[in-house]
Amino acid sequence: MNPEFQRNLWLEASPRRIAWAAVSLVLIYGATALVARDSASGPLPAMAGVGGFVFIICGLLWGSRAAGGAVLGEIADRTWDFQRLSALTPWSMTWGKLLGASSLAWICALTGVALMAGLMLVQGQPGALWMLAFLIALALFLQAICLAAALIGVRKARAEGRVARAGGVLWGLIFGLILLLGVAGSSGFQRGAGLSGLSSFLYARGDITWWGQVFPAIAFRTVATLAFAGWGLAGAWRLMRLELQMKNLPVVWPGFLIFLAVFLGGFAYQPGALAAPLLVGALAVALAAYAGAFAEPADRVRLRQFGASAAKGDLARALPLTPAAVIPFILALILVVAAFVVGGAGSMFSQGPDPAQAAALLAFVLRDLAVITLFRFGPRPQRGDFGAVVALALLYAVGGIVGSVISPGVGQALFVPLSIAPWASLASGLAQAAIAWALAWRRIKVPEVR
Amino acid sequence: MSAMIEVSGVVYDYPAARALHGVSFEVQAGAVLALVGPNGAGKSTLMRCIAALDVPTEGTIKVAGLDVEADPRGVHAAIGYLPDFFGLYEELSVRKALTYAARSRGVAVGETPAAVEMAAARVQLTDRLEARAGELSRGLKQRLAIAQTIVHQPRVLLLDEPAAGLDPEARRSLSDLILSLARDGMTIVVSSHILAELEDYSTQMLMIRDGAVAGGGVVAAGAGHRDGQRVEVTFADPPLDLAERIAALGVAVEQTTADTALLLLPEGEDDSGLLGKLIGAGLKVRSFQAARKTLEDAYLAEVAR
Repeated sequence: MNPEFQRNLWLEASPRRIAWAAVSLVLIYGATALVARDSASGPLPAMAGVGGFVFIICGLLWGSRAAGGAVLGEIADRTWDFQRLSALTPWSMTWGKLLGASSLAWICALTGVALMAGLMLVQGQPGALWMLAFLIALALFLQAICLAAALIGVRKARAEGRVARAGGVLWGLIFGLILLLGVAGSSGFQRGAGLSGLSSFLYARGDITWWGQVFPAIAFRTVATLAFAGWGLAGAWRLMRLELQMKNLPVVWPGFLIFLAVFLGGFAYQPGALAAPLLVGALAVALAAYAGAFAEPADRVRLRQFGASAAKGDLARALPLTPAAVIPFILALILVVAAFVVGGAGSMFSQGPDPAQAAALLAFVLRDLAVITLFRFGPRPQRGDFGAVVALALLYAVGGIVGSVISPGVGQALFVPLSIAPWASLASGLAQAAIAWALAWRRIKVPEVR
Repeated sequence: MSAMIEVSGVVYDYPAARALHGVSFEVQAGAVLALVGPNGAGKSTLMRCIAALDVPTEGTIKVAGLDVEADPRGVHAAIGYLPDFFGLYEELSVRKALTYAARSRGVAVGETPAAVEMAAARVQLTDRLEARAGELSRGLKQRLAIAQTIVHQPRVLLLDEPAAGLDPEARRSLSDLILSLARDGMTIVVSSHILAELEDYSTQMLMIRDGAVAGGGVVAAGAGHRDGQRVEVTFADPPLDLAERIAALGVAVEQTTADTALLLLPEGEDDSGLLGKLIGAGLKVRSFQAARKTLEDAYLAEVAR
């Protein structure tokens, strides 16, 4: 057996803990059955409802916390270096922690799944199996990204000379997820990005048209969630490799970005109009550039080594050091250029953003990446993330107000990439990016060490 | 003898400070190196770089012929490392903790029980195998941590301040263990800022100060002082020209006071011959005893360089 999985089982799923969990679940389900015993449809629907609640609490919340805590707990208990020195492969370490740390949570969560499955079978609900598979895939996805987030937190904390804490990582993850769901779920975003099918995906309603093919939403959502869980797992494994001092060639990250562009682009596809999915893909990977910029440790030594190796053309050394934001930005650029080529520069599209506006958006992404770099490599790297978020919020909010005072429309477009004057936005974004990168590079180049 | 650890021009930067400034040295196979220096000198950072846990900003480190940057996992497999602030799986029994340590360090399933028993025996924890790690005293926890570090029989052992917080008896046990491991051919690096701790088992010494090698690099010291045996001789009615009289006998004099002389006996020479020479020269010898050059002597000599 994988020693890491076994150790986690010894600690998390000891016979005593399993016995306590069993007693608790029997009491919860037993009480529910007693309360609902006189119900016309019997106690099963009520028990399945409680089972769903148990699944959310145990599978989604407790399991995710346990998966993240599998690394952060080692840091707090000062056993992480001992683990890093082990002979275990990064993959053994990843799955051993993921399933081992959440083993008891899974045992409890699966009782809820079993009750829900029982009810669905009794009632003969269509798509029951898809629904159950979706729940399990969702739990796996959340647990994998929690483990990945914990590893990101550990690496960032080390580079900033502090100790990673569960609170910081958890808040970062919650903030990121809320932001992502808020953006993806908003009708304005879906309309503007030409992703009207996203709602059907998120809520599994009706059918989904994806790259011109029609799929039942419930099945599509399950398969997609499983795919994202797989990517989450791959991400955790790659981060584990880095923690074990191994080098990563940029393969999985670009692979995920292409998957993301294809996945989201499929919702925007209309027969004969390829530019729209290309631009949606560009938008998605551009947003991933922000995630990459914030997730990477603020390590100026590594960045300088990347710059020096790239300048010498030493790709073998430069590629593993490539900053995470570089690849999504380049990919977004390629997708925008491709959209220009297939759609024709300046042409109007039936839906989705205009290529000129997309180019302006990229210019502002380039500026924002410089601002993030500038703040994260400042004298107090611990406050860099927060400082960068505040600075970006101020640049867009105050810039927008100043621009509208100068001249509503064109003036505003100088500070925010707007469709009213995309070429003005593009020129302004590039100029701001040049200034911000000059400042950021000065900070990276100048060593702060004594 | 070949170098087991080769450190060349190592620089290490923390976000706000440079911790190591071009450190270079070599440790021969089978040596017990005392890594000494004041708190904050960079000893722990250097150890972490040697253990391939942190990557140096500049320079190279090879352990057992493996480059820490090119093959960190190979280095991890070749070493055992005990950091200054270590943790244990407190809820696990000593046996389970050692079983996990052995299995996670590549010991085969069939060989694990024997490896666990052997590691426990080396640190005298055989009678505590079923005890919970969290219930052990500070000294016993230290022993368990060391047992976890050596359970896979590494070629190189790095111990960062291993005696911190131990009582005299536990320190003595630690000294015995390190001597025993050294006899088995393990190359050991032990860091401490308390020289007396290292006295019994160190064969070499390296002083680190302000992130740089101080003095003359790796020097023989403590148990491994090999540049001749020193003898402390006390005389009754010493002549005024004591130093000259002894020097005339062809004996190296390291230090003299009014009635005492510290003499250096060349490697391999019999000390009874020296005693005979002194008596034969009419000097009244009141006491005659071997005097080892202590680590502190070596440290102070290096500081004075």
